[in-house]
Parts: sequence; structure tokens; C-alpha cells
Amino acid sequence: MNVQGSAGEPARRTPRVLLFACRWCALIGADAAGRGRFPLPASFRVIPVECAAMIESDSVLRAFASGADGVGVLGCHLGGCRFNDANGVALKRMETLGDLLEAVGIGRRRLLLSFGTGHEGHQFAGVLRTFYAELEPLPPLSAWRGPLLNTPTFR
Amino acid sequence: MPGVIAILCRCCGQIDPAVDLAAVREKIAREDGVVSVEVRESLCLPEDGAAIEKAVRDSGADRIVVAACSPYGKAGEIVSTLSRLANRPQIRLVDIREGCAWSHREDREGATAKACDLLRMALGFFRYGARSADAAVPVHPACLVVGAGSAGLAAAVSVARAGYPVHLVERGAAGGGMLRMISRVYPSDAAADEKLRPYLEEVERNPRISFHPRTRVAAATGFAGDFKIRLASEVGGENVRVGAVILATGAGAWLPRGLYRYGELRNVLTLMELERRGREGKGAAKRTVFIQCVGARCPELPYCAAMCCPSSIKNAVALRKSDPDAEVTILHRDIMMPGHILERYYRNALNAGVRFVRYDAEKPPVVSGGAQVERVEVFDVINGISRTIAADQVVLSTPLVAGSDNARLSEIFRIPLDRYGFFREDYPLHPLETRMGGIFLCGSARWPVSSGEAVTQGEGAAAKALAILGRERISALSMGRMPEGKFGHARVENRFCTGCGNCVAVCPYEACALQRMGPARVSRVNKMRCRACGSCTAVCPNGTVQMPEHNARAVGAMIRRAFAEEDFR
Amino acid sequence: MQGPFQDSPRPVDGLPVLVEGGGVAGITAALDLAAAGRRVHLVERSLVLGGQVLNLDKVYPTDSCAFCPLWTDIRRLRRDPAISVHLASRVIVEEASAEGTLATIETKPPPIAPERCILCGRCAESCPLHAARPLGEHVYPPSFFMDETLCNRCGRCIGACPTAAIDLERNEERVSLKVAAVIRASGFREAELSPLPEFGHGTHPDIMTSLEFEAWTAEAGRNEGRITRKSDGGKPGNIAFIQCSGARDDRLLPWCSAVCCMHALKQASWVKRREPGVDCWIFYTDLRTVGRDYYAYSLRAVEGAGVRLVRGRPGLVHPLPGGGIALKFEDTMTQKREIRRFDMVVLNGNLRPSVGDGYPADAALGQDACGFAAEPADAASSAFQGSAAAMRILTCDGGGPCRA
Repeated sequence: MNVQGSAGEPARRTPRVLLFACRWCALIGADAAGRGRFPLPASFRVIPVECAAMIESDSVLRAFASGADGVGVLGCHLGGCRFNDANGVALKRMETLGDLLEAVGIGRRRLLLSFGTGHEGHQFAGVLRTFYAELEPLPPLSAWRGPLLNTPTFR
Repeated sequence: MPGVIAILCRCCGQIDPAVDLAAVREKIAREDGVVSVEVRESLCLPEDGAAIEKAVRDSGADRIVVAACSPYGKAGEIVSTLSRLANRPQIRLVDIREGCAWSHREDREGATAKACDLLRMALGFFRYGARSADAAVPVHPACLVVGAGSAGLAAAVSVARAGYPVHLVERGAAGGGMLRMISRVYPSDAAADEKLRPYLEEVERNPRISFHPRTRVAAATGFAGDFKIRLASEVGGENVRVGAVILATGAGAWLPRGLYRYGELRNVLTLMELERRGREGKGAAKRTVFIQCVGARCPELPYCAAMCCPSSIKNAVALRKSDPDAEVTILHRDIMMPGHILERYYRNALNAGVRFVRYDAEKPPVVSGGAQVERVEVFDVINGISRTIAADQVVLSTPLVAGSDNARLSEIFRIPLDRYGFFREDYPLHPLETRMGGIFLCGSARWPVSSGEAVTQGEGAAAKALAILGRERISALSMGRMPEGKFGHARVENRFCTGCGNCVAVCPYEACALQRMGPARVSRVNKMRCRACGSCTAVCPNGTVQMPEHNARAVGAMIRRAFAEEDFR
Repeated sequence: MQGPFQDSPRPVDGLPVLVEGGGVAGITAALDLAAAGRRVHLVERSLVLGGQVLNLDKVYPTDSCAFCPLWTDIRRLRRDPAISVHLASRVIVEEASAEGTLATIETKPPPIAPERCILCGRCAESCPLHAARPLGEHVYPPSFFMDETLCNRCGRCIGACPTAAIDLERNEERVSLKVAAVIRASGFREAELSPLPEFGHGTHPDIMTSLEFEAWTAEAGRNEGRITRKSDGGKPGNIAFIQCSGARDDRLLPWCSAVCCMHALKQASWVKRREPGVDCWIFYTDLRTVGRDYYAYSLRAVEGAGVRLVRGRPGLVHPLPGGGIALKFEDTMTQKREIRRFDMVVLNGNLRPSVGDGYPADAALGQDACGFAAEPADAASSAFQGSAAAMRILTCDGGGPCRA
């Protein structure tokens, strides 16, 4: 949905957010937020994964390249991962990715890392709303407006 | 080629106020590969089941997108039902209720666009997503129990009596563990030998139990259902093949050298030494002082070993009973006797005339004497006075420590140790299970426990082992899998693997291993150990190891379609 | 005294096993029995599987969410065709014989049928008395339920429900089963503290039992994890945790409830984590930290987070006229007596087995009981005791005890 700026300014759209959420703490929180009917912006999408450790840095970058203004990596809290602390590995990887994002000008603020802070409905809603508040002042990352279907796969 | 059918649920009017299902249906029906899109009033009620199954069967589709409520509610059950259809279709669940309609009630346009995008993401997934091939492993219906103390004996006897052969391996000459070294057990005060005897007799007479004394485990490979174990003894080696392993190696004793004049004054002994004297009919003294927490709950060993308080009390009461004039004092920092049985045991000690004096860690008791112990000075914190207690023997309550063989066995069986050296369990509320499927823990190998509790844990570990032993085959996809596991197991594309070993390093279950393939080494995933966490896929430098259900192309397709509808608007 | 074991055949098509209680112990026993090939009837008196652990906010010593591991096991259990779950049920008759036990299970089907509930909430919207509401945050499967203490049977919800899930006239159902054995896993409940008026329970909203405090401060609860006073919503300056209130006390419960010391340390640690400025005091007699990593946990709470320990059981807990609660206690390590004002008081200790009057006088653990029903036990112990109880059934064909 586009938010009209004042006359002469380009229309600003609600930030697009792609969340990679683990099937445990993260998705349970997202689910609870829905059941609790917390009003949230409609411009986020969730890709479920088994564990945050499954999320490649590459996927995050592709998400940015495909039009996401913000990407979230959500997992269980440290010490609570059912895969033997695999989420700790994921967190380290994502923190390093944050450095890369800073270096290329995307910025660390566009990467949300939530490990165990979103497993209740009100917490997930809070985390997401805070992320949106961070993203709203930033310009849209991609000016790409055309359809992205039918592009060739690049791997 | 069969296509994809999409089923959208109205959820009895819970979804369409926010999501324009007719519009979604129209858009999705135009997508490549979609055979049909239908909107249904509900999918989860008992009366819906037959109609849906029929619709799916008639369409001939082998892939189904179900757009309904959350997988943690009813939709999960729909998926279970549909996945049992004869052609075993692949099902992708899209949450358009909790994940869309219910959170975006004020934005019908946005919610409808989101629902379209979510469905397109599922279709994109189906274009490139694959399915893990299952692997079924025949189970060797035998069990290995390492350690023949209370826990190991209980485990072995339980498994054998349930009908399965057991290899009971013990590094000592005979079974019994700690029970061989003590005279009585608490809280029953029964003779330790009496407690032990039925188990030793069963080991002797039950043909299913092969007892291997003076034997150690030298090597182990394999996975749940099929472990190859190499046993080594003085007379040689033996290979056994088992479906499950139970570690019951117990704990070790610790000598308080340098503490409380141990080794310097005569009649300053450890609790175990007192127990041994008790077995020999000695150990009585006119005035005995027990000191608790010797070497425990201190910076070097910051844990409570649980057994020392009840053991001291057991011995204290025995001393009082055998000589009503005996003076028995227990110096303690807390009396660790939780529960109702131990509380009663503690009270009995009070009634039997055992004296208790509390001291503080900052002001430990001082033991002194000439050639042999004569007295103990202690600051009684409850009464705020110093006391000098005459003593003919001083008994030091030392903690059980991790078994001396734990480190070696940890390497062999790949079970990590905690910081005190005890074997680590995998997950809260699953205290007997380890990160290796098919390998279970019990007794003081896991954490110091009494022999009664060790027996209970041994029986529990046997129950876990039976889940494997009772089957002819176990499938990789059923091992350690969570309900409705979407993800199978990782797979390596041999041609591209560079043998870097990242996956081997990162796998929490040691499921990846490098193996020779001609001149090169490539990674191979052990399907029985893999739990689909995906750690390996994320560290592979060239995308060689993938989860078929979450491969790079499928993820890419989902990402590209995520905001497609948004762009159209 | 134990005799030699009797060899017995492995029961392949044996009679089902009845597990009484759907908490950690019962769920573990049921899953282990089913995995080993037995059919199970799990009887739970409430509408929810998970027992007391499901309602906890966090568990020690991992400080992880309580519900998550349990929730996974509940989902596995629900999917298992060998396990029949009877909710809102209890065993009313048991007749043991040589061939097994004839058990009668009485079920009170809830007015809102969980298998038809789609969580739309229209019943709650239509109910003028707020009697219809969701079962709870982490319940699986989620459903709405009718609080029959509030319901006046006006029937408005019946028409509002789109799936015809509501029937206020459901009658009790009974089913009789022949089972091989009964495993008692009925867990614990809180005992009334009225026989001990010095603890002041019920005289002030901020004097709570430990489970009340847990529910009050839970992240899934109304307060969303915030630490506030119940009386006026303000932030407490200090909180007192009183151990052994009701326990180790011949007037009420003569035993030690085993879990309370760690429970208080956990609650105090989490208060400090969320509000470091709140002064937490634990009044204890013996600080029992015997389990795996428990002592290290207590060190982190005391030396790390600054939780204070005072050895002494307060003799009086009394609301103050100007607000707050007075605690009269003696620090037995310094022999100093004190009266101190606290904002909140948490009473820890009054846990008793759910079924029966207490524990049997003789020390022997019942062969068929596991978890708190047998002996005050923490969650890990309840789990392995459940497995052990399952194993004892698997090695003897439903007859007498397998070991003395």
C-alpha cells in the first residue's frame, strides 16, 4: 500500500518485510499474534524454516535484491534451541552479515534479529512493529516496480 | 503430468471478511501448473474429510496447496489426513488466517495481496521443492548396556525380560558398582548385597543377557538400529551389533587430599571408607563427626552431589542404633533431603539422637589432633557460637564425580560432556536421551543419584531402547522427527562437493562425514542421524548440501514471489 | 526383599494400559508405552494436556520456555493412533483381578466440542457473562471452552457458533475398559493455606502462592511478563519469597515439596532479569539444589543477579494499613530479628499430590505411581519416572509387581 507524500514527493509505500521464522519459538509467536488479532501491517511475509540455522546469508541478500525493505531472522532464544544450540551459529552468521550489509550500504538496521524475543503473540507483534518503525523513515530499498515473475533463475 | 490443486478455506466466514477469496481464486487459477482452485466452507470438520479426499483423488493432483488456518491448529490435522492418501501427495500449508486474515482486518486490499503472494510462494516452492528419500534401516534387536552398577543392571534386566538380548559390559570383575562398596542403602536401610542379589542372579540365569566382565568398549560406529561396537578385554576383542546403547557407567569417587587433615591424621576418612569399614563389621566409634560438602559446592566443584546428606544420615543413624551412647554429629551447610521419603528419613535421624550443626562455607570446621584425630572446631551459625566437638573419627562427605572413563566414552559414542564431566542429555524433559539417536543415559553417568533412583532411570532408559528394539525397521524420517516435519534430511550433490568439511564441523548430530570418492573426499549425510536442522546447508560454500524441501531454487522462487502481487498493485 | 524375577512373555497384543494424569509423567509414560507397541488410554481430568508444567512461564535450569518441549510431545501424542486421550475425565471405578483391571472412565464432555471449534470466538462475543473464552495460550490443540461456574445457560452462544460445536446439554459418558495396569501420574495441586494464617494468604492481593505469582508474571499471562503489584499495578520495590510455607510443617504438609527452592530461585532470577531494581529476598530453611546444574543456577541467581538469601521462616506476614506487607522474621545465621516491609510476598511450598490425602506412611514407592503422585519430583524426574513406570508394565504381563 502506498502512502502518499505531500505534493511533489514520490509516494512512499509501507516497508516490505520478509521474515524467515523457525518453526518453534518464532512461528509459535507469529501464530499467537494472529490468534490474538493483533493488528499488523499487511506487507510482511513469512518463510518457515526448521531452525534459524537453516537460513543462508545468501537468502537474506536475495530477499533484499528482490524488493524487501527489511528482512527478519527469527529463532528460539539462545539456550533453548532444540537442535543443540544451532541457533547460536545462525546468530553469529547473521551478525557478520550485518557487518556486510553496513559495508555495502544497505545497513544493519534493515536486518532484524530476534532470538527468543517473539514467542508470545504480544511479543511478536511488538518486535514487528518496532522493526516497522525503524524501517519507515528509511527510503525503499528498491525502486523496482515491475513484476518479478518470469525472471530467469540464477543458480 | 499431474499438477497442483489449491484448496482455499473460508473457515466458516473467518477468512473472507479480510481476504477476497474470489479474487485470490481467480489469480491463482491462472498460474502455471495449477489444475484447479476451489473454495470450501470448511476443511476441518469431521463431515468435510470425505469430500475433500474425494476432490483431491478425482483431480489426480500430486501436489496440494491448502490455504487455511494455522498449522498449529486444525490445519495440521487436515495435512495429516491428506498426506495419507494413496498417491502420497506433497502438501504445502499456507496460513491465511492467523498469518493473514486475523492480523490485517483493516486492510482488505493488503490482506488479499498477501494471500495471493503466499499462495504463489507455495506454488514456487512446488516448482523446485523436492522430497527427501526415506531410508529404512533394519534394526538389530539387541541392546548394549555399558556399566553393570545399579542403573546398568536395572536396564539390562528390563530389556532382557522384555524379550531382547543384552550385552552387559562391565570394566570390573563383577557387576554391582557402588552397591558392592557400601553396606546399606537408604532409605530402606536394606543391606546393599540383598538389593543387588536378584539382579546378579538374573544376569546369571537369563540366557538373553551376555555379561562381559573386565571388558571395555573400544570403538563404536553406526546409528540407531545398527551400532557396531568393538569390545576389548584382556583375553581379546569381540564385535557386537546392537540397535540401542544404554550408558550406565556411573560416577567416580573423589579423595579430599589436603582437606580436613585427610591422609595426615588417623581416623579421618571418607564416607566410602566408612562404608567399607561397615561391610567389614568395623566402623563403630564412640564419637563421630561427619562433615558435609567436603570438596562440593565450592569453586572447584560447584555442584551438589545429592547423595552425601542421605548417606551420612544413614551411617549416623546406624552408629546410634548400634551404640545408644555413641555421639554422632553432622556438620552441614544445608541438609539436601528433598521429598517426603527423605524428609522422614531426616526426622528419624533427629529422633535417633543425631546432632546437626550448621556451618558456613566461609568458616569451615577445623580438624585437629596428635597422631590421630581428636577434635573438630566449628562455628555454629544458627546459635552464633564456636563449638569444639571431641571426635574419635571424622567422616568427610565427598561428592561423586564424573567417571574416569567418561571422556574416552564421550569420544567413542560422540556424546558431549557437561562442564563437570557428566554425559549431557539432549533436551529439557527428555533426561535420558542424548543427541545421538539410539544412545540413552541413566544413573550417575548422567548426574549423581542414589542407587534407587539409578534403578528407576535404568528402567526408563530400557523403555526408550524398546522403542527401537521392538521394530523390525526404523525409517530415517521417523527418527527424532517433530510432528508434521516438513523437512526430510540433507543431501549432498557429490559432483560439486569440494570436501571443505564445513558441514561436518557445524552439524550438531555429526551426521555429515567426509568419505573417499576416488581421489577426492566428499561429504555424505547419515540419514539416520540427520534431524533436518539445516545447519549444514547454510555453511556450504557452493550450495552442494541441500535440504530437498528447502533447496536454494525453491527458496529463491519463494523469495521472488513474495511481493509479486504487491508490485502489481 | 526381592526374589528372583519371573520370566514373562513380551506382550505383543496385550491389554491396553491406563495412564491416569496428562502431565509430564503421564505423557512420557504414554509415549513410551505406545512406542513399544502397547495401546494406551490417557485419562486427564482437565480439558488440557500438559499438567502443571504447561502453565509455568520458564523452567530451570535452562531458563527456557516451559511449554515448548511439552507441546511437541503433546502433538506427537495426539497423532499417535495407539493412544486414546480422554479429557475432562476421571477413573471412577477400578476392579483389579488376575486377568487385569476393569476400569470405568467417566467423561464430562465439554459444552464446546474441541474437535469442532475453529477458534472464531463468536461464542465469546455473544456471551454476556464472559463464560466462553480460549483455553489458554499454549494449549494444544487450541480451543474455546465454557466456564461452567459463570455460564447461565442462556444459549446465545449456540446460535453464534458457525460449526454447531456447542451443546449445553451434554451428559456424562462412561466407558469401561479391561486394562493390563494403571499408571498413576496425577501430579500435584496447591494445598489450601488457611490452616496457616500467619502466612496471610488471602488477606492481600500481593500475597500469592508460587503458582499464582507464576501466572501473574508469565509472559503469556495478562501482565505479559511485566513485574507489577497486583493491588495497584505499581512496580514493586522488593519481593519476598517464603520457602516451606506449608511444607515441612506438621500442621499442613509434613514433607518437603522438592521443587520449591529451585522454583523460587527461578522466579527471583526472572524478576531480576526483567526489573533489576527489584530487591528479591528468599527466606529458606535448606536451599535444596540437588539436581543437574541446580547449584550453579543458584549461584548465578545469588552471586550474579543479587538475589538475597535469608535463612529463616517468617513467623508473620501481615498487610500494613498504609500499603505494603510486613514480614516478621529471624535471620537464623545472625540471630537478628526484624520486621521489614515488602511490596509482594510469594508463598512457596504448599504442594500436595492431586489425588488422595498425602503419601503412604511406609516408605515404599508405589510400583504404579510416577512423578509427584509418587514423591515430590521435578519435571526431569517425573519424565524418567514415567518411562520407568512404562517399562515395568512392559516386562510383566499386567499381573503383580515386577519387583518387590
